[in-house]
Amino acid sequence: MGDQKIDFNQILHLIRKYYKAVVTVVVLLIIGFGAFFQVGTEEAGVVTRFGKHVRTVSPGLKMKIPFVERIYKVPVERQKKQEFGFRTEQAGVRTEYSRTGSVTEDEAIMLTGDLNLANVQWVVQYRVSDPYNYLFKVRDPDNTLRDLSEAVTRQIVGDRTVNEVLTVGRAEIANEVKALLQDMTREYSLGVQIAQVVLQDINPPESVKQAFNAVNEAQQERETLINEAKSEYNKVIPRARGQAQETIQQAEGYATQRVNNAQGEAARFNALYNEYIKAPEVTKKRIYLETLQEVLPKLGNKIITSENGNNVIPLLKKELN
Amino acid sequence: MMNKRSKLTLITALVIAGIVVLTQSIYIVDETQQVVITQFGRPIGDAVTEPGLKFKTPFVQEANFFEKRYMEWDGDPNQIPTKEKKFIFVDSYARWHITDPLQFYKRLTDERGAQSRLDDIIDGETRDQVASHSLEEVVRNTNRQADTTAKISIMIEDSLAQIEVGRKRIQNMIQEKANEETKDLGIEILDFRFKRINYVEDVRQRVYDRMKSERIRIADKFRSEGEGEASRINGEKERELSQIQSAAYKEAETIKGKADAEATRIYAEAYNKSSRSVELYSFVKSMETFVNTFDTSTTVILSTDSDLYKYLKSME
Repeated sequence: MGDQKIDFNQILHLIRKYYKAVVTVVVLLIIGFGAFFQVGTEEAGVVTRFGKHVRTVSPGLKMKIPFVERIYKVPVERQKKQEFGFRTEQAGVRTEYSRTGSVTEDEAIMLTGDLNLANVQWVVQYRVSDPYNYLFKVRDPDNTLRDLSEAVTRQIVGDRTVNEVLTVGRAEIANEVKALLQDMTREYSLGVQIAQVVLQDINPPESVKQAFNAVNEAQQERETLINEAKSEYNKVIPRARGQAQETIQQAEGYATQRVNNAQGEAARFNALYNEYIKAPEVTKKRIYLETLQEVLPKLGNKIITSENGNNVIPLLKKELN
Repeated sequence: MMNKRSKLTLITALVIAGIVVLTQSIYIVDETQQVVITQFGRPIGDAVTEPGLKFKTPFVQEANFFEKRYMEWDGDPNQIPTKEKKFIFVDSYARWHITDPLQFYKRLTDERGAQSRLDDIIDGETRDQVASHSLEEVVRNTNRQADTTAKISIMIEDSLAQIEVGRKRIQNMIQEKANEETKDLGIEILDFRFKRINYVEDVRQRVYDRMKSERIRIADKFRSEGEGEASRINGEKERELSQIQSAAYKEAETIKGKADAEATRIYAEAYNKSSRSVELYSFVKSMETFVNTFDTSTTVILSTDSDLYKYLKSME
């Protein structure tokens, strides 16, 4: 206890002795801290002296006149992002989005040129390109950009049919919104540069979605019907072509056979005729007898009658029956 | 000792008085501000629009700060009927700035006063302009031709109606008219735009119904187109099938006919050489017919008159 009191007194004594030096150091420190400032890598430092802009400094350790000069740091290198019609709930490897709620729905729903409605969600990426304008020309430049972006997107979508907006028009809409938005920000002296306008989901309004899906289904159905007909065609026609070839080949075969047979038979007949002409009577007889010789053994009933026996034939017929 | 202390007090008092006078006579104008100097409430001289360190007469004069930047005006969504009596919500916004701080100070006093005057002026002009134009004029901006390359667009013959004025010119007219009214208020509107235009609830339902029926029409068209196309392909198949089959039949028959003719010619040439050959042919053919047609179920009655059995009766 006693030691501490002595220490305290000693400190008091020291302070009394050196207070001038201490005050000087403290004042110097305050001036020193006031004179130096750091500008981050993604920032630009805008310096005003008595409220008037005097210079803009790049990243690093910089000096200013204490109390007289003021510093505004603007993140010029940082990409900023505004979302319309949806909000990123939690960014990450698997980002979660929120798409419901009257605020986002009102942002997204818009009239198309043919007076239909479409639900358009988009993102505007931008960065501060002119820190002076960004700070001193427009109050609340980010919110101004939001309003502008909504107006511009609706203007572009308002010149298109709902089918264009939902199908072929996407890229064109994004490009035109970007170009028009860039022009407008220049006119407003917003001091920002539009990096990209990305259209996200573009959908028909919730209550007509089903009807739009029915169109897609009908389109699929149409393709299916056509494909089925085509496949039936492809199944039948090549087979028919093959069968036609078969029919023709068969006819060719018949023709060859027919001609060959005729030629063969004619040759045989000619040979026979050449011999026959030399001894017609006997040849004819020989052939006759030979034929009967061949035929008769195979026959069932053989009845031989005299030349007067013609009258028995009716009887025989009855018996045979 | 006393003398020294009173001296110190005097110095301190003087310093304090000096600081007070100094703070009263200097003021700092920011980049974002402009100032009107008033003397007992009466404006003195021109407005100070340049930023920096400025001086004024202490105690008598007062510095009134005003915004120099563009400010926002955001309208309340208004329910307005268009020319064809369609009720729509129009949500608009404007950017404005103080062009004449002195006049602004005199007429509107402060920003809140300005916002409320802008509400009156712009809302009124918006209502007038929207009510005297059709909805299409408000929504559309140009007479751009619709891109109808999408399949659905081709099917329903998509097109955009022609407009005469358009969104941009209506916006400009509202802005110009409003600026005429704000001229003596010391403010100017830089830009006026429709932010959102939407149908009121029951009109929206009707639009949804129309969109639905239009889609159903497209779906039906797709389906019937599919059926039509399938029938066409089927018909083509049938036609091609008959063509292929009949052509093959025709060719086959022609080939066969030619062969028959050729065979007939060959036979005739051989058999029809002379009366003898004709006789021989009919004889041989008859013989062949016997061989081919007689079997065990055949009964023949041969007369002894026949060539074969004539010797059975006699040797003659």
